[in-house]
Amino acid sequence: MTAAKPRKVFVANRGEIALRIIEACDRLGIDTVLGVSAFDKNSLPARRAGQTVVLGPSHASESYLNVDAVVHAAVATGCTALHPGYGFLSERVSLAQACADNDLIFIGPQPEHLDILGDKLSARRVAQAAGVPVSPGGPTTSGEEALALAGQIGYPVLVKAAFGGGGRGMKLVHDAKDLVAAWELAASEAQAAFGDGTVFVERFVADAKHVEVQILGDRHGNHIHLAERECSVQYRYQKMLEEAPCTALEESARHTLHGYALSLARQINYVSLGTIEFLYDVQRNAWCFLEVNPRVQVEHPVTESVTGVDLVREQILVAFGEPLSLRQEDIRVDGHAIELRLTAQDAHRGLAPSPGTLTRWRPAPLGGIRLDTHLYENYRFPPHYDALMAKIIAWGPDRAAALQRLEQALERLEIEGPRTNLPLLQRLLKTPEVVKNNVTTRWLEDALPRLMEDPR
Amino acid sequence: MDIDLAELASLVALLKEADFTEFRYDKGETHIVVRRGAVEAEAVRPSSAAPAAHIAPTTPAPLAAQPIAPGDTQKSKPSASGIARNPVPGAKVITAPMLGTFYGAPKPGEPPFVHIGDAVGPDSVVCIVEVMKLMNSVSAEVSGTIVAIHAENGELVEFGQPLFSVQESSAS
Repeated sequence: MTAAKPRKVFVANRGEIALRIIEACDRLGIDTVLGVSAFDKNSLPARRAGQTVVLGPSHASESYLNVDAVVHAAVATGCTALHPGYGFLSERVSLAQACADNDLIFIGPQPEHLDILGDKLSARRVAQAAGVPVSPGGPTTSGEEALALAGQIGYPVLVKAAFGGGGRGMKLVHDAKDLVAAWELAASEAQAAFGDGTVFVERFVADAKHVEVQILGDRHGNHIHLAERECSVQYRYQKMLEEAPCTALEESARHTLHGYALSLARQINYVSLGTIEFLYDVQRNAWCFLEVNPRVQVEHPVTESVTGVDLVREQILVAFGEPLSLRQEDIRVDGHAIELRLTAQDAHRGLAPSPGTLTRWRPAPLGGIRLDTHLYENYRFPPHYDALMAKIIAWGPDRAAALQRLEQALERLEIEGPRTNLPLLQRLLKTPEVVKNNVTTRWLEDALPRLMEDPR
Repeated sequence: MDIDLAELASLVALLKEADFTEFRYDKGETHIVVRRGAVEAEAVRPSSAAPAAHIAPTTPAPLAAQPIAPGDTQKSKPSASGIARNPVPGAKVITAPMLGTFYGAPKPGEPPFVHIGDAVGPDSVVCIVEVMKLMNSVSAEVSGTIVAIHAENGELVEFGQPLFSVQESSAS
């Protein structure tokens, strides 16, 4: 590639994150090309991008997940870099590799790092080598081995495929008598789905908080962290409320956590933006490494709100080889930020998907509220993709103030058309567990029916 | 590119009287294609001396920056090449089944799969769309006569972009 070629970024995503990336590029004076599906031809990001190309039909597997079409379009439109956003191809080693093979800068980690971090076992090994605590447990290749290991760990245990992800083939076992049957089932599922029957057995932590650390590394060996976020309000592993900082942490625990994250980043000399996820056992004051998300995350705005750092801008700049302009001592956490995910899921029907035309969309113009969204009035919310409609982010000098602003924002939000999770979000903000922040990751699954009991 | 304007003018004068739908003139680096008849109105705007004179390179470009056709998602300037981008009203349109690079001929230097005026059947190959070095043949899928070609050799075509207009023969 000639050095003189101007920077031009291909955006391989859709929805609010595509808009977010286009805006970051605009502010940097970088031209953009957006690859869309046929359905998204007239979407808000399609209208905002410098140029838009239709990758394929509406179905994501033939458009947003089509590595060949994405890379071909990026090269043919003269792009010098590619931003994968989150979801879709963002963690796909084959995309990062195809970019490298075609002189495109992949705005993310190197393919080898995606490979190492994408696999539970190798990611765990990296964490262990970095001195980061991992959950008690390990890989097993027979039922007897699993029994012996579970005996050491103590029940309940989680039994899951060692390769692959997405909670597939995951079993919770409370008693030794059920272990071998669960192990055999997990092994056969793992063999069928991933071609490897290795089964992972680990301690199941029932009451844990989900706490994650934002990290950023450049190509010159510099690594910083941008403090932590808490995302314990989840429904079936889908986050619904995220905040920064995590108020459940004592200063010493926070310091320990940030140290773990930096140590892991340095262990593999991680380049790009990333998140290191942990489970925090509040009773035992114990940390355990969960996984690394080697990409921008949905909840990045809460970190931006409390640190004032534009994470997507930094991610793009380090990808182009620039050294980090921020040092660790420049990162300060100011106040508190909370994000709510508004989704097209019917709160009154167990969060069933509910696409359709938005007949009314009038967010309230309120101070201290940030809205990341691709919605507009009369937008036809599609059934083909993720249910995320908007991220409503409130900043306040403290947690109570942020919660109060969120309440106002929801109260004054005018939305008609698809059924949403708005009624649930409103109730969440008034729930004592959320107000006091003693929620753990399984809380919402149990609490949802009770929260939605009143059909109002 | 040197074009003898006097030569061109006499050519046009001759063509005025002649009965044809497509005329091709190749001389060294100069390639002139003049179409008449079913070609869309905008391509035969009388403002220029040569009606729909179209000069295009015929060798496929390597995978590199390519011009892109202005589809409805495109806000940039209209095509300068004089290619009729919009389908002929009433005709069947063959669209790109995938995003890729459009090639009108099987190999560089070979004649194109189809010309305007050619009859095609459902299985007739009309072009190639290349995606990451993989060549995908595109079939007409209808029977009829090619009345317009909407893409240029070597350009990036989007999924669903019109490539050819075909006047169906079975239309009653």
